[in-house]
Amino acid sequence: MRVVVAPVAGFGDGERRIVEVGGRSIGVFRVGESFYGIRNRCPHQGGPLCLGHVLGDAVADAPGQARVSSDPLRIACPWHGWEYDLDSGQSFMGGAMAGVRSFGARVEPGGSLLDSAPARPAGRVPGPYLAETFEVRVEDEYVVLEA
Amino acid sequence: MDAIDCDVHCAPDSYEALFPHLSEYWRQYITEAGIRVNGLAHAYPRGVGATAPSTYEALADRVLDRRGVRFVILNCLTGFETHRNAYFGAAVASAINDWVREEFLARDEGLRASLVVSTISPEDAVAEIERVGEDRRFVQVLLPVRSDLPWGHKNNHAVFAAARERGLQVALHAWGRAGKAPTPSGFTTTYLEDYVGNQSIAQGQVLSFVSEGVFERFPDLRVVLIECGFAWLPPLLWRFDKDWKGVWREVPWLGRRPSEYVREHFRATTAPAHLPRDPVLLDQLLEMLDGPGMLTYASDYPHEHGDGLAGLLDRLGEEQRRSVMWSTAAELYGLAGNPAASSRA
Repeated sequence: MRVVVAPVAGFGDGERRIVEVGGRSIGVFRVGESFYGIRNRCPHQGGPLCLGHVLGDAVADAPGQARVSSDPLRIACPWHGWEYDLDSGQSFMGGAMAGVRSFGARVEPGGSLLDSAPARPAGRVPGPYLAETFEVRVEDEYVVLEA
Repeated sequence: MDAIDCDVHCAPDSYEALFPHLSEYWRQYITEAGIRVNGLAHAYPRGVGATAPSTYEALADRVLDRRGVRFVILNCLTGFETHRNAYFGAAVASAINDWVREEFLARDEGLRASLVVSTISPEDAVAEIERVGEDRRFVQVLLPVRSDLPWGHKNNHAVFAAARERGLQVALHAWGRAGKAPTPSGFTTTYLEDYVGNQSIAQGQVLSFVSEGVFERFPDLRVVLIECGFAWLPPLLWRFDKDWKGVWREVPWLGRRPSEYVREHFRATTAPAHLPRDPVLLDQLLEMLDGPGMLTYASDYPHEHGDGLAGLLDRLGEEQRRSVMWSTAAELYGLAGNPAASSRA
């Protein structure tokens, strides 16, 4: 089902829209020129995932040397802090070691991203959960969700 | 079965025994102020055991003739806890190390010891490790589990760096600096709370070492929990992992679950063991600990903690028994089977 979410011009960088599609609540996010779609239901305990903060990865080369990496992006569930890759929906536990590998923020079905090696940053432990993701694209100046 | 006893105590009878290793100034300081050693005599209830041996003869007579014990790690806790004078604390630590070398280590190839350091000044601790840490008869740096600052704090990392540069590990022994409360919420009313409090203090130190990233900075460092117990580890590690999942961004230098660091980097001695008598429950506990791989045998002589070790060994197979009695400590301290052949003195 194709759902027109909003005109691109009215959907600013860093904004999000939560839409109802066929009884499902889905969050659509814009970060820079990229759009992401992810189910507004945390696989952990059903929390409203899309109300959470979108955060860059936290990495550290040594104790105390922490910094934020803009890629990959994660969304943290407001209930228990479980974090999901905004692009693939994969949950990850804990911080990454130095030398995190980023991966392209292209729009593809989540399943294909999970199968590709770069989707798992070095040193990071994949969590047990996978949030449902959806394709979001821009068509004729409109943000379109495929759900 | 061959054994390495990872905790046998020795203690000077009095500060006078340390006088050959102290300057005239400190000898006068001790005499004029009436300072006395108590060897942590207050730390144990009556009946727990005799006083620690103060001479090699007493040690040999009471401890070293036990069958199968090839190596003994000596721990001297004198001066462990009370000094607020950092200069005095450093002088006493040096004197104890020299006394241990002269009275014990020089007289028996099967003896090893923990190196004691100032427990109030990391700078002085580093200086003492630099002074005597090259002596291979010292196998680890002994720190009191009860400290002024959690040991994992960055201010203490220089101590671990100095230890690792010389191949030394670190041990935390029950008791310690009495200037700080034995509970996170203040001083206790009773000795009972203080006595039991060693366990929660040890738990706090485990959290500190891991959270502060000590094992990321010192990947070869092992920390031995001596006389702190270990049966409390499973519920602590369960919650440590669980809460880390939610707040890991505070410690992004941790690349693994906290419990993985603990299982790899911590060891614990078997006295006291704090184990259930029901063998079914004991088996469950061992399963939650991923087996006995963290455990090393210790008698804690002269303190008597009951028959927990026997109950533990009863539930283990031959190879696991050997790991508890011998191989885990042998690997930790680089000890080989024949003391005479392996003497590094």
